[in-house]
Amino acid sequence: MDRRKFLKQSSLASSLFFVPSFVKAFENVASSSLGYKRLVIIQLSGGNDGLNTVVPFQNDIYYKERASLSIAKSDVLKLTDDLGLHPSLAPLNRLYDQGYLTIINNVGYPNPNRSHFRSMDIWQTAADSNEYSQSGWIGRYIDYYGETPYSAIQIDESLSLAMKGETKNGIATQDAQTLFNLSRDPYFKNLQQHQNDTHLSEHNLGYLYKSMIEAHTSAKYIYETSKTVSSQKEYPNNKFGKQLKTTAQFINSHLNTKVYYASLNGFDTHVNQGPTQKRLLNQYAKGIETFVQDLKAGGTFDDTLILTFSEFGRRVKQNASSGTDHGTANNLFIIGNQLKKPGIYNKLASLDSLDSNGDLKFEIDFRTIYATVLKKWLEVNDKKILNKSFKQLNFI
Amino acid sequence: MKHKHIQHLYRRMGFGILPDNLEKLSKLKRKEVVNTLFKASKNTTLLELDTSELKRLMGDSYISAKPNIQKIQKLSRLSTQKLNHAWIERLTNPKELVREKMTLFWANHFVCEDNNFLYTQNFHNTLRKHALGNFRDFVVAVSKQAAMTKYLNTKQNKKEKPNENFARELMELFTLGVGHYTEQDIKESAKAFTGYSHNMQGDFVFRRRVHHQGQKTFFGKTGNFNGDDIIDIILEQKRCAEFICEKIYRYFVNDTLNNSHVQAMIEVFYKNYNIEQLMHFVCSSNWFYNEENIGTKIKSPIEFLVGIKTIVPVAFKNKRQLLNLQRLLGQILLDPPNVAGWKGGQNWIDSNTITLRLKLPSLLLNSSYISNSRTEETDDQIEEKKQFFKRNYGRRFNVESNWNYFNQQFRNVNMNELDSHILACNMSQVARGYLNTLEKVSKQEYCIQLMSLPEYQMC
Repeated sequence: MDRRKFLKQSSLASSLFFVPSFVKAFENVASSSLGYKRLVIIQLSGGNDGLNTVVPFQNDIYYKERASLSIAKSDVLKLTDDLGLHPSLAPLNRLYDQGYLTIINNVGYPNPNRSHFRSMDIWQTAADSNEYSQSGWIGRYIDYYGETPYSAIQIDESLSLAMKGETKNGIATQDAQTLFNLSRDPYFKNLQQHQNDTHLSEHNLGYLYKSMIEAHTSAKYIYETSKTVSSQKEYPNNKFGKQLKTTAQFINSHLNTKVYYASLNGFDTHVNQGPTQKRLLNQYAKGIETFVQDLKAGGTFDDTLILTFSEFGRRVKQNASSGTDHGTANNLFIIGNQLKKPGIYNKLASLDSLDSNGDLKFEIDFRTIYATVLKKWLEVNDKKILNKSFKQLNFI
Repeated sequence: MKHKHIQHLYRRMGFGILPDNLEKLSKLKRKEVVNTLFKASKNTTLLELDTSELKRLMGDSYISAKPNIQKIQKLSRLSTQKLNHAWIERLTNPKELVREKMTLFWANHFVCEDNNFLYTQNFHNTLRKHALGNFRDFVVAVSKQAAMTKYLNTKQNKKEKPNENFARELMELFTLGVGHYTEQDIKESAKAFTGYSHNMQGDFVFRRRVHHQGQKTFFGKTGNFNGDDIIDIILEQKRCAEFICEKIYRYFVNDTLNNSHVQAMIEVFYKNYNIEQLMHFVCSSNWFYNEENIGTKIKSPIEFLVGIKTIVPVAFKNKRQLLNLQRLLGQILLDPPNVAGWKGGQNWIDSNTITLRLKLPSLLLNSSYISNSRTEETDDQIEEKKQFFKRNYGRRFNVESNWNYFNQQFRNVNMNELDSHILACNMSQVARGYLNTLEKVSKQEYCIQLMSLPEYQMC
């Protein structure tokens, strides 16, 4: 028996003798399956300006509409003949050069909504823009395929809608310890002893007891499993870097978690966009590069796919405050080393055929990307989770 | 009226009841108790913050507001936080208990939010004004609120370019429920709501030039309908009364519908859509007090929080912390997830919220300390644990709790009766067995123990 397995079994065994049958089943899952593919979702909140992220440096319209905001051709990190990265994305450029990055352009959805809340809501629930859902797409993945709350972990204090299903939910924790500490009172431990299945099947009260036991077992499992691993890599010293460090720790300790969710906020650059976006993109790229190196060192990069999105892109024409207003279609990044089409997946939409608001027209429905990731990467029935059939793309 | 039934009534139509009041009411008959309860909500005390500065910044037109837009947004954000806080205080000390509970209910029915505080506050008080009134007037008022015309885009709904958002949600979420209308009904009724808008102050403005003047066919009727006509036609459908009664039943009575009870409610409500009469009927019905309806619902985060505050007053010294706590518990007042609102019931509970809910009473009221448990911790260990939580959570819960109030209110309650005041449901065998092994040092400490049980999440 290897060390890891031993640790896991012993930490679980200590609590096994008193637990009701549902928890036993639940813990057995934890020790059975390892080495599955996992998905890391990075949410750039606020609406990242895609045009200054992946820059069309040969496009006259771009330079005309962005008189003071455009990235000079000489500063762009060139990827192809006409597209290049923002200069603060050098670490991402390196991933690109190694064939670890696919950039999908013009991602959006029909009848776009330009409100942050609503658009983020649409991205998180994978609903049509005239439809309101009370469950998220990862939540529904857990409903059907998640065995435990930690099947999906959000590196945060609380769960976003994306992680809430119809009947089950993911779990949120900023690090391995916080939630564990909150749950670790002997009072609760005593309440959990001698519980029987009849009581636990009572409608609402039984549900509460079950949720308590599940939560406390999960918190303990996450803590005890991940504490055996620590990162050797230097992450940038910011909140996002910390989130990625925790994520890498969880992944490298082989937590039986399929989806991780992290986010970087502040992209709502209506005013004086230049320095803000530069700082955030820099945080993003440095963090991600370190994260990839960390996973590589832990031997887990092969099985990890990283998806980065933002709720919308920004208007082509800059505004009067050296910023940009809410737009529609945007680019989306897929990072991993099992990519079918590393590089630029599709051409950037034309800047001279915009919609009536002056925004890019979308070409790829983001749900086709979800569908592809669900089916080809997580190997589940995408239609069941998205409540609809979407085209499969060809990036993995 | 029986203690248990009064408590049930007050937990569902309010946030609990304290011993003195309970004792007083127990001398009365149910009819008298219910009448007294509803009589107390005859008036409407609006919840209003001063908006003069905001109004000044906004002026009377878009042109006057434009240069101040950032100040307006900032002030709005701050004021919305203040209203959030004031609302929670109001719920804790209400004059009109039933009206306040109903306002909370309607806020998750007519779901809306806005980034302009003036409109937010107007909308909020519209809920309060109509909370026990006539449902028809309520829907009409909501349809004309500035915040709603913005939230569901009625403002953008013009005869040349209809926007169906409001028409769709009016039927799907506010009156009929999915599957009880056609796409054609949405298209036609959207035309009737064209031209809805508001002025800077938030008053309703009807823009005749962009209103669709012409025949609309809706639910089999044809005419040059306006928005009010559409609402009337919707309310003619008995399904509307059914939809609202089902929702009220789930919220106030039981997650699981009982058909005959709901039917009885529909008969009362459909007659004239009077909300107060409907609620009075519910509270007077024998079935409301059936065993299967008592202590079987899961509290919403706000019911949970206000419930704690009702028993032991807790003041948040830092308002942002109260807001953050609502976020962690999964329900921020005035900040709904989307127009579908919070799902409620078991959906309030996930690994994070259950963990926090169980720990919260001790965190807020007793430096995180629950009990001197069987594991026989030494005083040093207990002290160390308290210090740990003070370091990690103390700053996040900068609160002042008033145990004197509790001790005063519960002075005549015996230790062994305390659970019936604190818990809405019977204690599970395991919980009772375990609590019996613990020393009962004081009512205060026993109260914390009871509040730290999953049972305390029930109402």
